[in-house]
Amino acid sequence: MAEIRLERVTKKFGDFVAVNNVSLTVKDQEFVVLLGPSGCGKTTLLRAIAGLGMADEGRVLIGGRDVTYLPPRERNIAMVFQSYAIFPHMKVYDNIAFGLKMHKFDRETIEKRVLEAASMLHIEDMLDRYPGQMSGGQRQRVAVARAIAMKSQVLLMDEPLSNLDALLRLEMRAELKRLLADIGATTIYVTHDQIEALSMGDRIAVMKDGEIQQFDDPTIIYDRPANRFVGGFIGNPPMNFIEGQVEQTDGRLSVRIGGFRIAPDPAMQARLRPYHGRSVLVGIRAENMEALNHPADDALRVRVLVIEPLGAQNLLTVKIGDDIIKVSTHPSFIVAPNEDIWLRFPVDKIRWFDSDTEIAIRPEM
Amino acid sequence: MNEDSTPSNSLGRRRRRDWTPYLLILPTVLYLLLFFAWPMFRGLGLAIWNPEALLALRAEATQDSAIAGKLPQGAEVEILERQGNLIPPEEQEEAANLLTEIWFKIKSQDAEGREVIGWVPDRRIRVREKDEEERPLAGTVRPKLGAKADPLTSVYAEPNERSEVVGRLESRVRVDIVEQAVLEVWFLVRGQNKAGETVQGWAQSRYIQVFGDEESGRVDRGNAGQLTAEYIQKMTQDRFFKPALYATLILTLLIIPVQLVLAIVMALVVQARLKGNTIFLYIFAIPLAISDLAAGIIWYAIFTQHGFLNSILQGLGFIDAPITYLSVDTRYWIFIAIWLAEVWRATSLVMIIVVSGLQAISEEVLEAAEVFGASLWERVRYIILPLLRPSLQVALILRTIFALQLFAVVVALSGGDVVTTLANETFRQYSLLRNPHVAASYASFILLLSVGIAFLYLRTIRTQQELEQS
Repeated sequence: MAEIRLERVTKKFGDFVAVNNVSLTVKDQEFVVLLGPSGCGKTTLLRAIAGLGMADEGRVLIGGRDVTYLPPRERNIAMVFQSYAIFPHMKVYDNIAFGLKMHKFDRETIEKRVLEAASMLHIEDMLDRYPGQMSGGQRQRVAVARAIAMKSQVLLMDEPLSNLDALLRLEMRAELKRLLADIGATTIYVTHDQIEALSMGDRIAVMKDGEIQQFDDPTIIYDRPANRFVGGFIGNPPMNFIEGQVEQTDGRLSVRIGGFRIAPDPAMQARLRPYHGRSVLVGIRAENMEALNHPADDALRVRVLVIEPLGAQNLLTVKIGDDIIKVSTHPSFIVAPNEDIWLRFPVDKIRWFDSDTEIAIRPEM
Repeated sequence: MNEDSTPSNSLGRRRRRDWTPYLLILPTVLYLLLFFAWPMFRGLGLAIWNPEALLALRAEATQDSAIAGKLPQGAEVEILERQGNLIPPEEQEEAANLLTEIWFKIKSQDAEGREVIGWVPDRRIRVREKDEEERPLAGTVRPKLGAKADPLTSVYAEPNERSEVVGRLESRVRVDIVEQAVLEVWFLVRGQNKAGETVQGWAQSRYIQVFGDEESGRVDRGNAGQLTAEYIQKMTQDRFFKPALYATLILTLLIIPVQLVLAIVMALVVQARLKGNTIFLYIFAIPLAISDLAAGIIWYAIFTQHGFLNSILQGLGFIDAPITYLSVDTRYWIFIAIWLAEVWRATSLVMIIVVSGLQAISEEVLEAAEVFGASLWERVRYIILPLLRPSLQVALILRTIFALQLFAVVVALSGGDVVTTLANETFRQYSLLRNPHVAASYASFILLLSVGIAFLYLRTIRTQQELEQS
């Protein structure tokens, strides 16, 4: 059992608060991704778990054991570094064996584990090489092999794929996911790449300014962002936000966007009532809008600014009032710049946000 | 014609040689040749090259005649004959041992009233008139003494007693001196060469030292160079050679390991980024700015009879009378003092190199070692030291070379007599004993040692990668 629990962890560098009062529980064998833009404190948080920078306040528990002030080697963790940090003066074999040697395993065990880890990462032919004779992708595999050879219950990964080229990253992503599912270690994976996060993690913790914004399943993070930041950070293109006015006609609430009214579904009616007379943010993903090239009663007329054919879809940049939004359409949807199209907003795909706090307004469960 | 177009085409495509890098490197090459290669070869040449080893004897008393044989420097010779010869203008500067004769070209009349113009050695003429510049203008023929002597003085066609006699003059006849010539005396000498063969031939007086009897002498110096082991033998047989060599090696062995360990520790302290580590760095680096002589004097001031050490020990009551540290009887104290001074002075240099090496080690690599369970000592042992290997190599080579050149500290602490080193012997041979050749031998020996040790370091402290690739 290696549940990782962070309790109100704070880490400061001088006056700068890198991690602010973060509590997080990672279940045993779970794969959690810490996602956020650079400078959000995700790496600092990971290092606090690793023991490479002790938390200033709060507690770090691994498997129920308080390790807040223990040095890294007493935490029973393995780690993959962003720069791989493999030892340049050691052969691949010795690199993978390093942790085992330091933990005084016997020779046979070390050899068995090294070969096992190397074959899992398909580098068993390179054990006699020095890192200097290997490509970036191969070094990356050595770094991962070194970590999994430890068979520790906690595996920490700090942007392990960020130094690879795009194609290799795609390949490694799938391979890592399978590998990590096989070894069943509790894994915390830091990345700024939302695709990596969505595709790999059991759960994602989205961080900003040293705080966790949302900690949930990837689908929920994508579909129901907790606030405007999460919606705008996750997804490509990010979620669109349109300013809308909450109005009441005949006892029913509606949200007006330009001359167009959207009627929230009944569950939202009650939650939006306090916003009567004020504005809210309407959030909708590019692929959730339906584009028509003919007028319709339930569709909003917009002007197309840019068309980007992306193969599987066409991405349109359109203007609604003062807001610029992205709409993805089927590639067969033909339109020219500066033409008008009509957009249909499926009401169940709309997410509502408080325009001041930018926090999601959710229907009562 | 199709071919017409091809030459111009290929001309356009031909790669032109780019001379820019060669031009850019030219000043550097010249500089290196002029300031390094040339003086070094000249200097080292002194150790093995005797430029005056052999004297070439000529068949005739002229420079362009055939070489009759060669005599080594110092060979004893019989002097069979002598003869004056014009000195070629390019040789006029050298003057050691030079025996010269002056000949006058005179104009006069003989007993029969015939005009005689020719050359006479100056010893036959008494000069009576000189111009403002002390040039002789006129004189009289000296009378010959002795009853048997020929009363007439011969006048020669050329300034040479072997040339034709153009006239004979009586004593006390007035002569006009038209011209004068300085002649160098050549000797016909006979001696034995190294192979034991008897060699006979002419040599200029400047190369021959003539003994009192005027009939024998020795070859003072030769005019041709030869490789020689003589200076190296002189060095190895010098009574200070072995003590100097041993002292140098012992001091090197004592200084370097201590320096290396200290420097690594100091570098780790600086690198640990503790509060005030820059202060550490500055304190450690101060001795770098102190010259070796100054360092020697500082430690002399500490160890001398009424120095700081004795004062402190007396002040604390550990000793009653001052201890004499730096004396012939307590040579080991001199060694200790030199050792301390050198360690104190030069460790920071090693530290600087090690610090720069440490900074090149990636932070993440060290963290990885930490995460994977290496203790501080294990990190130093398995990560830092192996990765520092190139820096340590540089530091070791530098330090060893400097240790082999140990000089000023030794002079300051021992006066250069009680404890002596190779560099000190070089200095002594050159400046006190005035023997640049033996000094050059010492210097070459130090160079050879340095090169050998540097090579040894490069071979033995190779990185694993290098070993793998070889």
